[in-house]
Amino acid sequence: MREIQRITGKLISIGLSVAQNFPTTAFVRDSGQIIAYEGIQDLSIALKNIDYKEIYDELEKGKNYNIKMVDGALIQFLYTYKRSELVAHRLAFFPSPYLAEFQNNPEIYQEDAVYADIIAKNILPVPIRFDYDPDNHQELDHPKCHLTLGQFKNCRIPVCSPITPSTFISFILRHFYNTGYRNFTEDINFATQLFDETITIREQKVLHMAIC
Amino acid sequence: MVNIIRGDVNNKPVSSKRLAEYFEKRQDIDGSLYLGYPIIGTSQGGYQIDALLVSKKHGVVIFNIIEGANTNIDIEAAEDESFNKVQSKLLGNPNLTKKRNLMVDIDALTYAPALTVPPNNVAKIITSEPQLDEHLKSLNWQHSEEYFTSLNSVIQAITSIRKRKQRNYVKKEDSRGAKLKKLEDSIANLDREQSAGVIETVEGVQRIRGLAGSGKTIVLALKVAYLHASHPDWNIAVTFNTRSLKNQFKQFINTFTIEHISEEPDWEKIKIIHAWGSPSIEGIYYEVCKKHNIEFRDLSAAKNLINESGREFDAVCEEALNKITCFEQYYDAILVDEAQDFSQHFLQICYKILKHPKRLVYAYDELQSLSNKTMGSLEEIFGKDTNGNPLVQLQNKPGEPKQDIILEICYRNSGPLLTSAHALGFGIYRHEGLIQMFDDAGLWRDIGYEVEAGNLVDGQYVKLARTNKTSPDFLKSHSDINDLIIFKSFNNNHEQVTWLVNEIEKNLQEDELKCDDIMVIHSNPVRTRQAVGEARNLLFARKINSNLAGVTSSPDEFFSNEAIIFTSIYRAKGNEASMIYVMDAHECFSGPELARKRNILFTAMTRSKAWLRILGYGEEMTGLMAEFEQVRSRNFVLEFTYPTEEERRKMNLINRDMNPKERKRIDQTNRNLREMLEALGNGEMHKEDLPQELIEKLKEYIL
Repeated sequence: MREIQRITGKLISIGLSVAQNFPTTAFVRDSGQIIAYEGIQDLSIALKNIDYKEIYDELEKGKNYNIKMVDGALIQFLYTYKRSELVAHRLAFFPSPYLAEFQNNPEIYQEDAVYADIIAKNILPVPIRFDYDPDNHQELDHPKCHLTLGQFKNCRIPVCSPITPSTFISFILRHFYNTGYRNFTEDINFATQLFDETITIREQKVLHMAIC
Repeated sequence: MVNIIRGDVNNKPVSSKRLAEYFEKRQDIDGSLYLGYPIIGTSQGGYQIDALLVSKKHGVVIFNIIEGANTNIDIEAAEDESFNKVQSKLLGNPNLTKKRNLMVDIDALTYAPALTVPPNNVAKIITSEPQLDEHLKSLNWQHSEEYFTSLNSVIQAITSIRKRKQRNYVKKEDSRGAKLKKLEDSIANLDREQSAGVIETVEGVQRIRGLAGSGKTIVLALKVAYLHASHPDWNIAVTFNTRSLKNQFKQFINTFTIEHISEEPDWEKIKIIHAWGSPSIEGIYYEVCKKHNIEFRDLSAAKNLINESGREFDAVCEEALNKITCFEQYYDAILVDEAQDFSQHFLQICYKILKHPKRLVYAYDELQSLSNKTMGSLEEIFGKDTNGNPLVQLQNKPGEPKQDIILEICYRNSGPLLTSAHALGFGIYRHEGLIQMFDDAGLWRDIGYEVEAGNLVDGQYVKLARTNKTSPDFLKSHSDINDLIIFKSFNNNHEQVTWLVNEIEKNLQEDELKCDDIMVIHSNPVRTRQAVGEARNLLFARKINSNLAGVTSSPDEFFSNEAIIFTSIYRAKGNEASMIYVMDAHECFSGPELARKRNILFTAMTRSKAWLRILGYGEEMTGLMAEFEQVRSRNFVLEFTYPTEEERRKMNLINRDMNPKERKRIDQTNRNLREMLEALGNGEMHKEDLPQELIEKLKEYIL
């Protein structure tokens, strides 16, 4: 929780977060604990079979995110614990479908390094989700921790273990806000802790994501 | 005297004119005569009243007007209907009732000046002025003292905008929240000019000028609602520059239309659209391109046409005007807000796509142009007809709806605040002299200043002050003057940020203010994002959320009731808040492009509905404070010598806007010059090293 708070604060101070919600933790039955953000509502919309634009609009309107980035992308950090043990997480990155403004007025944004990556017209931003869902584990088809790209239902790239908020944010910043990231690396110092490995041997034998 | 407001009386021009003339002569009556207004919402749609007199002595008098000699209508039934409709509208307002009774006297009669022989079955048909005199004498409204103001408010349909905020949480008697509540209740009615702006419909071009806070946006929205209600078949477009206004417009137009016709507007007929547009967003220019099959240029394509930053839209409009020979005419009325941010070519396009008689209404504010554009003359904008006469003249002829309306009362900023903003915006008390000035000295009077001493003439001393009428007292009487405007200089940014955060916390926790009562504006649009990061982070740590207004917060939304808004000046335009903090104001104090910087400061200051805090650090902030101190110590008047034309030309040159290339070039040249002088100074270079012809040129240009 503290980590999320810290990350949010950092992103605000360097101006990457234009809107944000306070991280919260709620206690539920069975000594469970859910870390999320204030004002969280039903998120099943994100999984519905409707236009991405509509999904984005719904999430944005309902302020269903931890952080809204300077280009409109939404970031969610959701962790569920039971008796101090992590039982599920969902880390999501929903890019904005409305990047035309930046791409059509590049000079305005060129001056500001943080926009450098997104003003290119040829890019196609993609929704990214890191899910830790051990209850539904099926070797290879549904690894305990997996990465889903572009909201494809069956895309579940194995990931070696659950990941921390810092790892996730570093990943997003490094690859999608690279110029901004480079300019601020002294400010963005996210320590990386590791969770225990949850990937199986067979899953390791196919293309997967790992961090050491 | 009677304030005559000439709306659109369908098909009864002669009789309604006569009625107006009658009341113009009645100097003894205190009230207003509305022609073609109000339009009352009923279950069957909008019911338009031909004429309505709202008078202190008589109460409400409804006139059903008969134009010719046709008396085939059931006169009594028509009078009854009008009476009932008006009564039910008024009864809906608790301000006008006591227990179950309406405290306003209503009378309904029929006016038919063209009839020489009144029909013999009806009692109350009035055909001549003496009859009208007689009838009016018989009316005597007892309760006018208590209810007249509320009555005006209801008739003008602006009671709905007052309900914007429920401040039921206000507990302390004189917290800031309580003061705001009283303030909001005080703004009761539209003034005469505003009413004219809303209702008077010109069969041609109409211009509404006014300074910041004079209510232009509300006037336009009310006008759209009125036009739509009286002409539901018209295609009306409303356009503006600041995207965050879209929501405001939509909301106002919706509310006001419901007041008129008891249902939401037909959004097929009213289009609230941007000026430029794109394949994904409706816009006037984009529509023109589509309809006339010419190439649409977005901003980057526009840059291929012209290299001057800021003039891209103008260039694409000009290109369209040249490319299109025959314009389709598909709008009945177009309303343009913030016209000062557009160019004349855009207005020309609007003029061309309008059906006859070219109902173009445009609103603008001289000093708010953040990019220093000036409107050309009317001839330049609209051109001439075949005889060489200007097509549009904007004259206010007596007895006709006004073509040129000036809103001189500022309802947002208190007198001291507005005067300070003008002082700093123009650099009136600046040590090095004025930065900019109106070419037309008379404009000062138009915007509500009176000459206390001296003359508004080039080269002469003048002392200007706002009057109680143009800057109502209630805007400043709620707080001590030293609380209304505060300038604060710090030693460094950190101190500035700490103070700001502490104040905001206090506003929310002790002063009973809400998040959307506060706006933090940063003076430098380029640096805003990073500059406000520290403050926002500190607030976040104290559990106070904040948003950064940018291109991604839906450009049409702005305030939130759960987060404080931080913004640069471009997004702040058109919005207002009760408590305004301006950060890094020292950046607007001096340097190149000073006119633009001071305009930014002016616009930032005039966002405030009540309190203003100007923050900064360093020597420049001290300088800025000293300028303000000059205004304050003179009790908020403007004293200066009006610059001559030559002086104004020079001023404009020194403080002009530059595009980035120009800026770079000048910086570079200055640097080179400095280097050269340094080298000459310490003997590294000798003046004999410079070629003679260069020395000659130097002498010619500079020395």
